[in-house]
Amino acid sequence: MAANKTTKVGLNLRNPDYYLNRELSWLSFDERILGEAKDKTIPLFERLKFLSIVSSNLDEFYMVRVASLKDMVDAGYTKKDIAGMTPKQQLAAISVRTHELVASQYSTYNRTLIPALTEVGLTVVRSHEELTEKEGAFVDEYFEENIYPVLTPMAVDSSRPFPLIRNKSLNIGALVKRKGDKKTETEFATVQVPGVLNRVVPIPCESGKKIIFLEEVIERNISKLFLNYDIICASPFRIMRNADLSIDEDEAEDLLKEIEKQVKRRQWGKAIRLEVQDSIPKKLLKILTEELQIEDEDIFKIDGTVDLTVFMKVYGLEGFEEHKNGKFNPIPVSDINPEEDIFASIRKKDILMHHPYESFEPVVNFIKEAAKDEDVLAIKQTLYRVSGNSPIIAALAEAAENGKQVSVLVELKARFDEENNIVWARKLEKAGCHVIYGLVGLKTHSKITLVVRREEDGIRRYVHLATGNYNDATAKLYTDLGLFTCNEAIGEDATAVFNMLSGYSEPEGWNKLSLAPLWMKDKFLALIKRETEYAVNGEEGRIIAKMNSLCDQDIIMALYEASNAGVKIDLIVRGICCLKVGIPGLSENITVHSIVGNFLEHSRIYYFRNGGNEEYYLSSADWMPRNLERRVEILFPVEAPDLTARLWHILDCELKDNLKAYFLMPDGTYSKIDRRGKVIFGSQDAFCEEAKEKFKASVKDVKNTRVFVPETKPSEG
Amino acid sequence: MKKKPKLFAAIDVGSYELSMKIYEIAGGKEWKQIDYIRHRIDLGTESYSRGILSYERMEELCHILREFKGIMDSYRVDDYKAYGTSAVRELKNTMIVLDQIRTQTGLDIEVLSNSEQRYLDYKSVASAGYGFEEIIEKGTVILDIGGGSIQLSLFDKDTLITTQNIRLGVFRLKDQLNEIGAKPSHTVSLLEEMINDQLSVFKKLHVKDREIHNIIVVDDYVSTTLCKYREKDSNPAGYLSRNTFEKLMEEKFMKEMTGSVIISSQLIKCTMETLGAGYLWAPGVTLCDGIAYDYAVNNKLISAKHDFEQDIAACAKNISNRYQGSRKRGEALEKLAISIFDATKKLHGLGKRERLFLRIAAILQDCGRYVSLTQVGECSYHIVMNTEIIGLSHAERGMVANIVKFNHEEFTYYNELANSTAIDRDEYLIIAKLTAILRLACALDSSHKQKFTNVKVSLEDNNLILRVDTDKNIELEKGLFDSKVKFFEEVYNVQPVLKQKRRI
Repeated sequence: MAANKTTKVGLNLRNPDYYLNRELSWLSFDERILGEAKDKTIPLFERLKFLSIVSSNLDEFYMVRVASLKDMVDAGYTKKDIAGMTPKQQLAAISVRTHELVASQYSTYNRTLIPALTEVGLTVVRSHEELTEKEGAFVDEYFEENIYPVLTPMAVDSSRPFPLIRNKSLNIGALVKRKGDKKTETEFATVQVPGVLNRVVPIPCESGKKIIFLEEVIERNISKLFLNYDIICASPFRIMRNADLSIDEDEAEDLLKEIEKQVKRRQWGKAIRLEVQDSIPKKLLKILTEELQIEDEDIFKIDGTVDLTVFMKVYGLEGFEEHKNGKFNPIPVSDINPEEDIFASIRKKDILMHHPYESFEPVVNFIKEAAKDEDVLAIKQTLYRVSGNSPIIAALAEAAENGKQVSVLVELKARFDEENNIVWARKLEKAGCHVIYGLVGLKTHSKITLVVRREEDGIRRYVHLATGNYNDATAKLYTDLGLFTCNEAIGEDATAVFNMLSGYSEPEGWNKLSLAPLWMKDKFLALIKRETEYAVNGEEGRIIAKMNSLCDQDIIMALYEASNAGVKIDLIVRGICCLKVGIPGLSENITVHSIVGNFLEHSRIYYFRNGGNEEYYLSSADWMPRNLERRVEILFPVEAPDLTARLWHILDCELKDNLKAYFLMPDGTYSKIDRRGKVIFGSQDAFCEEAKEKFKASVKDVKNTRVFVPETKPSEG
Repeated sequence: MKKKPKLFAAIDVGSYELSMKIYEIAGGKEWKQIDYIRHRIDLGTESYSRGILSYERMEELCHILREFKGIMDSYRVDDYKAYGTSAVRELKNTMIVLDQIRTQTGLDIEVLSNSEQRYLDYKSVASAGYGFEEIIEKGTVILDIGGGSIQLSLFDKDTLITTQNIRLGVFRLKDQLNEIGAKPSHTVSLLEEMINDQLSVFKKLHVKDREIHNIIVVDDYVSTTLCKYREKDSNPAGYLSRNTFEKLMEEKFMKEMTGSVIISSQLIKCTMETLGAGYLWAPGVTLCDGIAYDYAVNNKLISAKHDFEQDIAACAKNISNRYQGSRKRGEALEKLAISIFDATKKLHGLGKRERLFLRIAAILQDCGRYVSLTQVGECSYHIVMNTEIIGLSHAERGMVANIVKFNHEEFTYYNELANSTAIDRDEYLIIAKLTAILRLACALDSSHKQKFTNVKVSLEDNNLILRVDTDKNIELEKGLFDSKVKFFEEVYNVQPVLKQKRRI
């Protein structure tokens, strides 16, 4: 381990007091999302969405983070994190915080959102007992016709073992007793709420809309499933399992098959969380707790509907448009001329795209056109997460069928997308693409596409580099930046990147790109240090960095040193941030903003003042050890003055945001700024408005040019 | 309209690495590298120790070459050249291996002799263009670092003086270090000892008291990094002073604990120190660049600035010099032989390359005198066969050696010759034709006094008329002429006639 570094005033930079635990910092992020669900200024249905995201986030957090901490505890691992907490201590703290979070979430749900929904005409029947007789009859019929055929009820007795309860699935547990047999013990029975059916069941009603959730309908009719039994009680429950895949890549002969196997095994991971309604009978809970071997602190007794992710579906209900944000339509990218091929536009100048304000369409078209273009020799791309029915995959397959050399790196280890990616990988292989399933020991997270074209004057390489995935669906929801260029130096580097991804040796030098895990981290440290040096020499030092998460200790230490030297540092960190602000003599010059908006902030922008020769970089990487050390990531510079001006504008607006921005406080909490007396400014809204204006202007331009100019007799003066 | 540039792939099947570069050759002087693919594969260890490749190694080799072929195809290259170097050369079953590669991958791989390989490396340096001619005006040594050995080529006043192979390759040194079990802290001092010992011999024998100003470095390890540095704007990229290099080495290369980089930079440092060179130029080129340059020049896609044939001839002259051959006589013979060759093109139908063999044979024709006055032919033959002449393949050197030999000894006909050597039919005919010309040239200089300063050669009917313009007494030449030119008559079925034009 490196020697302890200290500051001028003798502060030890590695002191755990100067860091926040990453898991707790992550929970703060989920709390900020819940804050949006609580925000009365936001349209009601948008608040439902945030409420739902709190749940889905928490699910993933348990499956991945809590699971891995539990593994550490089981393995007797006691090493402390940067905030000085052992895995055991972290789990204890997490349990307290998550229980608080969930309690707060349900209080918002029950006390605010449900009444508000009723007010706007959407009645949520939270329990089947509340149904009227007529409604009851309706749902019973619905049950028999639609639900009953797909249910698989399972009873447990001495001859039948406790069944497999699937990860993340919602189930109804029941205590049953054989009919007519007064002496026998009660038995446990369970049925899974089928995932294939919509959990939102609409009930006809005279005015407005009324819905009930599927599990309530099943619970109401549960006696029909266990005909020979009397139902003593029934209650919904849901479990979360350890979903961390452990794959020995060196041993695995066929990674594709091995991952398939492991994904199946995910269903069997150890249960790590149990959600039940707080009304669940003690005896039923006891059976579940024992059979699933769940600890007390991992049981969440819920006041209301289990699994609120269902509200994403409620959001999708027709109507209620006045309670949703108007749909924003991304505008066309103005630097791309739809009249000519995309390559011609790229040859004119580098093109920067800001999604979702600007359309993602050009990226899809880039591949589509390349697939058909006669002069294109090869297409190479890295894929991490792609959408269902991805047009990019289709275009790549077409390109291969058209005889282009198509190399695709499909990251099979992209968490929770493994299954999806296996399907794509197979499809691409069938079409004749050369598919690489990622690199041993590393996840390929970089987003890069290279199109090699043989033109009249020789080979020309077109490169697309981005901060976000090649996923046309999320590109409408995530803010990301993408760059098209045919700059020769970047083209050369892109070729080298793909050579490396294909297993060939690293080039001795790179022109423009920096790669993780090779030396991107060193590059960042050097860039930060350079600002420190400027500040030490009495010049202005300035860093603005926007990312999703910040938890790399070396980077944080460098930032502390820079701050201490007088560098002004503004960080825009959406999620985890282990850095602490406002520590005297350490981080007084650092601010941390977190923007939680309608779109998920996802772009990574790094700005360094460099004594006036400002440098702007974009990257797929956050300042996290996993990005900098265990993933293949790319950091690329943006150099054209018109493009850097746009990047500055983006950073500037985000720093000015006082509507959706939360600020990290010295005590580690986040709070919004007091807006009283201030002009309210939301960066995402501003970008939407700007985009709309820009589009209007461009349409006007076209109209203007179509105004006829009649020749008239020159005026005599 | 400008012609669409040609795409060319150069493949180097090296001892420790397979590499391929794709070039775009636009004609004129424009050509650029557009892709560079490298794969580490240790062919050397098996080849050098056992002489054959294991099944697994062969599989790996073919697998990578198939991928290379795929990449070539994806670029739709117009042509390619693939060469194997020492690891392929030193296999016992080279032919079998190459045939397997051909059937499995569709790639034709040719084998380079050390001198050909070094010649291409040397061409790669010249291909870097910028500054080469200027740099070699002063005393310069090209240090070409390979896996098994290094090659030192000494230039003075833009002429190649000598080129020597020394077994100090990076991997050979690495193996030796491993054998010794050197501690990392001792690596540098051990290396210095291993390297300096051999370098001082080179200095004593070849450099002597010449002043060496520059070192040009060709290697796969550090020069590609060095070539990115530019000390002054007026200097070519990669042209650094010794101080700058040593500083860089300390700051950068020594930290990188990969052995090859350390060994390579140590080799550079020792060479500079031993030879007292103040500057270093690392153009960042590899064998592939030489292959592409050679291809482009041969196919007239680009024009060469540097006269490489002159280097080969200069090299031959230096060999002759080492064996105390008469420079004057060598030059006279060369001139005579070339005059005859040029005048009889119709008869022999040989090309530029063969013309070069004749020149070299003329220069070296009596180097064996140094060893024995009675067995000049045999001794000359052995000297040529055992001396590296840069730019000549092994087979070509064999032809030159035979021409030299038969200039003094009775000609051996094909059946007999093919029994004892690896000479094939075509080579045999070249040997015969060139021997005949060289013998005729020697006949014109029987006295070794260079009496004919000016010979006009012309072909008239069935006679080759040699008009000599001299006032000197040429009784001796005339007397011996008929007996000496019999072989020429036999080979060409033409009668040489000597006519003296006296000035009045």
